[in-house]
Amino acid sequence: MGIAVIGGGVAGISAALDLADSGYKVYLIEKNAELGGKMAELAECKTGLSPRIVKIQNHPNIELMLSSELEGLSGSAGNFKLKVSGGKEIEVESVVLAPGYDIPDSVATSYGYGSPDVVTSLEFERMLRAATISNELKRQSDGKPVKKIGFIKCVGSRCQDNEICSTACCAYTAKEVWVVKERFPDIDVYVFYMDVRVFGKDEELVADLKDNYGVHYIRSRVPEVLPEGDKLIVKYEDLRAGKIEKLELDMVVLAVGLLPARTLPRLAELTGVKTDEYGYIETSISSPMETSVRGIFACGTATAPMKVRESVGLASGAALKAALMSQRTERIPGQEERKYIEVKEDEPPKVGVFICDNEGEISKTIDIPALAERVKGLRDVVAVNSANTIEEALKALESGIVDQGLNRVVFAGCSPREYEDIIREGCAKAGLNPYLVELVNLREQCAWVFDKNVTDAAFDILRMAVERAKRLEPIIVERYPVVPRALVIGGGISGMNAALDIADAGYEVYLVEKGEELGGGLRDMGDIAFPGGESASKLLKHYVDRVTSHERIKVYTKAREEDVRGRAGMFKARIVGDGVDEEIEFGACVIATGAKEYVPEGYYGYGSDNKVCTLREFEKSGKVQGDTVVIIQDVGPGLKEGAYSSKASNIEAVNAALKIKEENPGVEVFVLYREVKTYGKWEVLYKRAREKGVLFLRYEKPPEYKNGIISVFDVIFNDEIQIKPDMVILSVPMVPAEDNKRLSMMFKIPLKRGFFMEEQERPKMVLTPVDTVNEGVFVCGSAVYPAMIDECIAMSSAAAGRACVLLAKDFMETPAIRAVVNDEVCVGCGVCVQICPVEAIELTEEQLPVVTFGVETLVGGERRIAKVGDGCIGCGSCASYCPSGAMSLQHFRDKQVYAQLDYA
Amino acid sequence: MIKTWELDPNFKYEILKEPGGEHLTACFQCSTCTLGCPLTEIIPTYNPRRMIQMSLLGMRNEVLSNPDLWVCLICQTCTARCPQDVQIADLLGAIRRIAEREEETGKLKISSVRPSFDKAFMHQIQKYGRLYDMGLAMEYYKVKEGSFIKGMMAMSKDYKKFGMRMFKKGKMGVKSMFPEKVKDREVMRKIFERMGAEKK
Amino acid sequence: MSNLKYAYFPGCPSESTAIDQDMSVKAVFERLGVELEEMEDWNCCGASEVEDPEIVYALNARNLAIAEKKGLNIMTPCSICYYNLQRSNKVLRENEELRKKIHSIDSSLTYNGGVEVKHVVDALVNDIGIEEISSKVQKKVNVKVAPYYGCYMGRPPLTAFDDPDAPILMDRLIEVIGGEVVPFDYRKAKCCGGPLMMTVPDIAFKMARDILEGAKNAGADCIVLACPLCGMMLDAKQEDIEEAFGIKIGLPVLYITQLLGLALGISPDKLGLNKNVVDTKAIVGRVV
Ligand SMILES: Cc1cc2nc3c(=O)[nH]c(=O)nc-3n(C[C@H](O)[C@H](O)[C@H](O)COP(=O)(O)OP(=O)(O)OC[C@H]3O[C@@H](n4cnc5c(N)ncnc54)[C@H](O)[C@@H]3O)c2cc1C
Ligand code: SF4
Ligand code: SF4
Ligand code: SF4
Ligand code: SF4
Repeated sequence: MGIAVIGGGVAGISAALDLADSGYKVYLIEKNAELGGKMAELAECKTGLSPRIVKIQNHPNIELMLSSELEGLSGSAGNFKLKVSGGKEIEVESVVLAPGYDIPDSVATSYGYGSPDVVTSLEFERMLRAATISNELKRQSDGKPVKKIGFIKCVGSRCQDNEICSTACCAYTAKEVWVVKERFPDIDVYVFYMDVRVFGKDEELVADLKDNYGVHYIRSRVPEVLPEGDKLIVKYEDLRAGKIEKLELDMVVLAVGLLPARTLPRLAELTGVKTDEYGYIETSISSPMETSVRGIFACGTATAPMKVRESVGLASGAALKAALMSQRTERIPGQEERKYIEVKEDEPPKVGVFICDNEGEISKTIDIPALAERVKGLRDVVAVNSANTIEEALKALESGIVDQGLNRVVFAGCSPREYEDIIREGCAKAGLNPYLVELVNLREQCAWVFDKNVTDAAFDILRMAVERAKRLEPIIVERYPVVPRALVIGGGISGMNAALDIADAGYEVYLVEKGEELGGGLRDMGDIAFPGGESASKLLKHYVDRVTSHERIKVYTKAREEDVRGRAGMFKARIVGDGVDEEIEFGACVIATGAKEYVPEGYYGYGSDNKVCTLREFEKSGKVQGDTVVIIQDVGPGLKEGAYSSKASNIEAVNAALKIKEENPGVEVFVLYREVKTYGKWEVLYKRAREKGVLFLRYEKPPEYKNGIISVFDVIFNDEIQIKPDMVILSVPMVPAEDNKRLSMMFKIPLKRGFFMEEQERPKMVLTPVDTVNEGVFVCGSAVYPAMIDECIAMSSAAAGRACVLLAKDFMETPAIRAVVNDEVCVGCGVCVQICPVEAIELTEEQLPVVTFGVETLVGGERRIAKVGDGCIGCGSCASYCPSGAMSLQHFRDKQVYAQLDYA
Repeated sequence: MIKTWELDPNFKYEILKEPGGEHLTACFQCSTCTLGCPLTEIIPTYNPRRMIQMSLLGMRNEVLSNPDLWVCLICQTCTARCPQDVQIADLLGAIRRIAEREEETGKLKISSVRPSFDKAFMHQIQKYGRLYDMGLAMEYYKVKEGSFIKGMMAMSKDYKKFGMRMFKKGKMGVKSMFPEKVKDREVMRKIFERMGAEKK
Repeated sequence: MSNLKYAYFPGCPSESTAIDQDMSVKAVFERLGVELEEMEDWNCCGASEVEDPEIVYALNARNLAIAEKKGLNIMTPCSICYYNLQRSNKVLRENEELRKKIHSIDSSLTYNGGVEVKHVVDALVNDIGIEEISSKVQKKVNVKVAPYYGCYMGRPPLTAFDDPDAPILMDRLIEVIGGEVVPFDYRKAKCCGGPLMMTVPDIAFKMARDILEGAKNAGADCIVLACPLCGMMLDAKQEDIEEAFGIKIGLPVLYITQLLGLALGISPDKLGLNKNVVDTKAIVGRVV
């Protein structure tokens, strides 16, 4: 049997791959003729997604059913029978639903959407894609360049038709604005918003847009766009001046919201899963991937509006949960022994050049036939092929190796970062050592950078690549067995959940908590509950009971891990603590060190005034003092001081305000806020709090508290408001666990603002929310970003899922690429020693001769040089951090590089 | 600067209880209502959003004595667009009724003539069950001008041209001198009595 | 259309200021073969002056009950009557407590929710249908028309039967009789100022002026509308507005049923076209 994944958007794709990669049979059912879902329509994303799509298309464990829909489902967990359109029937043990979202069918006519210059954000993504290639952003009406553009947020969200916040649009708007400003700095950009709901690096991006890119963020929900001549007029309220302003724009982008997929009602009917009041698949805060039907799981935007990062996280989590109910029946690709054609050193090179157009992206600026013709003339080039898609190119490549006996390959297309694995794997399958391939990035390094003679430039680049390819040598990799155990660091909700998931999957887990008890932040939340969720104390008990009684989880409290060595699949460490000092081995590690409440010493008399407490202190005690309660959001360090605003604190504060008001209707509750960030379904908390009479005052300058009076300048009221509080609750940022620094050094995962960084650190998409630069080490929960409890649970399941994909393998390969130091250039600074995740680099000392230079005498003495040891995993961190450029990777070196330079 | 302890925190609950005012507290101050309101073209400072904010804060006196309360056209543009279903047009009506009651008890002086007109109108319905134009005009002008005579003079001045125009077109004639009446007028009286009484 | 029949709710202005609308509605429906039975002893809907919604609901419970006894749906030509009847209908259907409260006042206010309320434009386009109307058209209306919908056809959402900002139902009627709809954009549904006519006339005049000038600048020969209060403001008060601002407009204002009636071959007199304040002869002359 196997697992059915329904929906082939980024969520479905990720779930399918995780499952297939760990040896499960997967049926991927997608109603469209192509995979990719909405993400494939976004400006900068297709490229990020394509490698995964190609991998799916070539995956032996995945049966891809395109243009197919579910028509019936019977049976129960462990044995479902699915009827799929076209008369196919499949049997599976579990099902993952990922039907995604749709944008609204229509928007209010007052937005002037009929005008060609008023577009939805999804349409704008397409325009942006075209604009980045043509280098012009033009009005659709008259082709004139856009000079002033406005983005209107919350169109079709946070309104009567769609009560909740669509979560993704604040961030994607920032991304779109950033792309506009990067490409076309002269365009004037206005963003109309109610609250800017961005988190983490999106928050940094918005600050950057405001401060450095001159983007105007204006607080007004603009309700109408009026055409006047060839301009579009929008009105907004200038709160400071107390008047209505008119603005003439050339173009307007409507940041439309996300709605449950239109196919969802039917899918829910067929599968019997319940949907919630907003039409999404019903899940709960404590089991965010579980539907109302056992054996059926859900992920992505079918459960709530969210970004790609969260969609992928839920997908990995759902995949793991589905796997727990199924039997592994398939082999894991890449685990079989490989035999390669022998390529002798003196054998003449036979180079095949493969050019992938990436569906027309490259041929927009490069004349591919002409290029191919010229490349054919190069010495030792025996075959040149150009293909439209990567799949076609791959096929040509494989048959070229088999039929024409190619022994070197040059592959030219988009960024190799995205395709490298697939192409090397393709070569390996065809029998060519995968390191005899040279990859060329024709798009980013050529098509996008040269204005003129692009085809000539492309030829030069290819010529260099061919020379380099000829000098490539086969690299033989070694294999080592995977230790089927995991280390989980941190015993909060994320750590416990990850440990349970991994242990449930059949692997042993070491769970290390530095405190005295398991529970982490949940311990401070007392009996507080979120609507529809269990109280913190109940959840805590449930988790602690399960963890401590699980036969495969070994818990160490008051302990810490030290001396981490090794690499993915085979790590070693010591656990040191109260009377323990144990050496352990493990194949994967999950870091879940959480975050903790900042102590606002000195803020608003905290510590000396007994009216003042923090949010968590209030949650723990639950006691309300007096008749007037003021909750102040964002107390303490902010973005500029190195902290992130916290999703959790912001929403918990609104929840607390609601609770106080519900239980004490006579108490006046004020929430002083910068932005109310009740994203997604949390928006309902905000609405309920208002309805109950909680007053929300928006500040920019932090409020003051003197002589028992709080003064706040409400920027919407445009005046100062004074309150005499009986109780002041401070909502403070969550700050990273102190131990993160030590762990970061030990595991060599970079930190940002004290939190662990996900592997992909780009402003656009996060496709690997729990992976890190150090393969085999995963991060989740508030250790990455101070998140809400449902997200912590989802992300820790995701981390567990990703860890299990690795643990499922029998063995891993040593990396083929290694770091090498250029002795002449190295200045001995030691940066690489710090950076190297596996501590493979040492500084050695060398005696220097006395050198004179003109009249100056440079006295010799000791000189320090880096030396790379056997442990190197070829991650490239050292090479990218090395300030003097002395460090490089073996695969890019010596004669290969020089050969390339000769032709440059 | 305002001091919240000098305000009336119960004002928002008072409005919530008034028919039409039930959605006041749902407002999240987005400006949609103000930005779409056609009145702002004529009175640039007209701002329903701000009136709501003042109400929420408990600025009872300022709100009830605000002359802008009486110019809303009830055009429903704001209601149609409000993302939080505040039903602003009805809400302002609810606040107006609170103000009218304050005036009846002598606590407030309303500068607008609109309450007089509305009341005169309602009296016609109470009495006849239908609108009696002439009766409405006479009562309204009387209250507006302070006496019957002054009212009649003002009215004949206002209506001189208009009345002629309508008369010539057969839209105002002998027939409009007398009220149309519904047969069951007792029920009209009861409606106003019963529905009006309970809201206090 | 013989099976279609409505309880006709004429509204207070039907005998006086909007007598032309009343006449034309009756004439048009007769020509279309749709029977109108005037509701017996109907009462005022409360207009916009009765601000307490509960009183409005009670007043209209009586009207609805009258139609319910007859087993007919209500049709009214007045937008404000429509709004009050319809919102009362919707609220009473939903709110049992309110129904009980109103019932306790008097048994004549007992309404069980069995009536539909239609505005005349809604009835024409959605009940009778453009096709049916088109089959009865006898003449072509060679005029450029600014369709003015006012507030209550597309707003508020509870009672709306057309778009709040860009309504189209009257456009379709005008087009089917050969008229040309001039671009009138957002003014189609922008308030005419009517409700302030008596109490704050200067605001009302400014609002109305914008509509009138907007129509004129758009090249319209006339304005077409379907509400007595809008008619009062734009037609009856047009001269006062001209005087107040020292401008000249002179734009005929017709009820949609008047223009439609002409196309259906009904005589101008029967349509009350001699009662519009701004002379309509020029328009009548262009219907052939
Ligand atoms: C304009 C815009 C810009 C965005 N930009 C960003 C951004 O920059 N960064 C970011 O993180 N997020 C962004 N997002 C959000 C992002 O698009 C989503 O988070 C993500 O695409 C969700 O993926 P998904 O797989 O859940 O859903 P989808 O992409 O909707 O995929 C669902 C798939 O399921 C298929 N399907 C549906 N029903 C069935 C069925 N019954 N049977 C079989 N198949 C079915 C659909 O055809 C589709 O292929 C943006 C969204 C928009 C609207
Ligand atoms: S507040 Fe929510 S709904 Fe509005 S734009 Fe931002 S993410 Fe979207
Ligand atoms: S290799 Fe680079 S980073 Fe390492 S010590 Fe030398 S100069 Fe420093
Ligand atoms: S539109 Fe609604 S939510 Fe927005 S400010 Fe006005 S009343 Fe408040
Ligand atoms: S109903 Fe009143 S407040 Fe609302 S838009 Fe119309 S005039 Fe403005």
